[in-house]
Amino acid sequence: MDELLLSKVRLGVVAELLNFDWVAFSELARSLDVSNGNLGAHLAKLVDAGYVEEEKSFVNRRPLTRYRLTKRGRDAFAAHVSQLQSLLEPAT
Amino acid sequence: MERIDATRARDHLAMVERILAESQPKLCAGGEYFLIWGIGSAYVTLLFTLANRGLVPSAALWSGPVVLGFCVLFSILRGRSTRRALRASLVQREFFNVLWLTIGLAFVVNVGAYRIFAGTASAAIWSVAESIVLLYIGMHGNRRAIVAGTLVIVSLVVANFASAAFVGYILAAGMLVGYAGFGASELLARD
Repeated sequence: MDELLLSKVRLGVVAELLNFDWVAFSELARSLDVSNGNLGAHLAKLVDAGYVEEEKSFVNRRPLTRYRLTKRGRDAFAAHVSQLQSLLEPAT
Repeated sequence: MERIDATRARDHLAMVERILAESQPKLCAGGEYFLIWGIGSAYVTLLFTLANRGLVPSAALWSGPVVLGFCVLFSILRGRSTRRALRASLVQREFFNVLWLTIGLAFVVNVGAYRIFAGTASAAIWSVAESIVLLYIGMHGNRRAIVAGTLVIVSLVVANFASAAFVGYILAAGMLVGYAGFGASELLARD
């Protein structure tokens, strides 16, 4: 199991990013229904692990932080979900 | 090392399935591009056709590059605004790659190989590029794009068998109905 993805919020972040090129911090917070501080801490761990890439810019003088999944993150997600499924197989 | 039990694994998988179901990639083509480029390319095609027949003064040909320049400027400015989007899907990025590649190639060929693709051949290249973009969108489940792309191709075939005097008009009509028409229909269907 990928310990980083055992957290439900971090797994949710990676799932949210899977079909998207870039997703803004505010969009992730809204979709996952978590506080900014909580999400920021989880995203920092994903960025540090190289699962997620961060881009900071300014739009109309307002800061915009967006995230996207790296290949490493995508591979880790696929492996983790496969392991979760295999964990459930004997029970079903 | 943290452990996970079956109940928690099931809960996590259910969340992943829900998120993936809600974030199914949709291709939002953005009608403005098609409207602007459809009208622009039809205008240039008509302009050269009319100039060749002596129906407009050759000085009017200068408006062609101006119109195309406007189309390019619009596309660049619109592209910048989409880069600021809060969510940008992978399908959307792929679509813009196809759009820029085909329209860009048509533009380069028109400017760089104007002796090979002179006159109506130059207009036909635009029709081919536009039909590729439309059919690509059609491949992602947009039926209007399939119809529009087919119309552009039909205009090419009809122009091929038509009298030389009508070729430019037919190609321009294909661009207007197919490309610009698709753009208008996307804008109308947006809300």
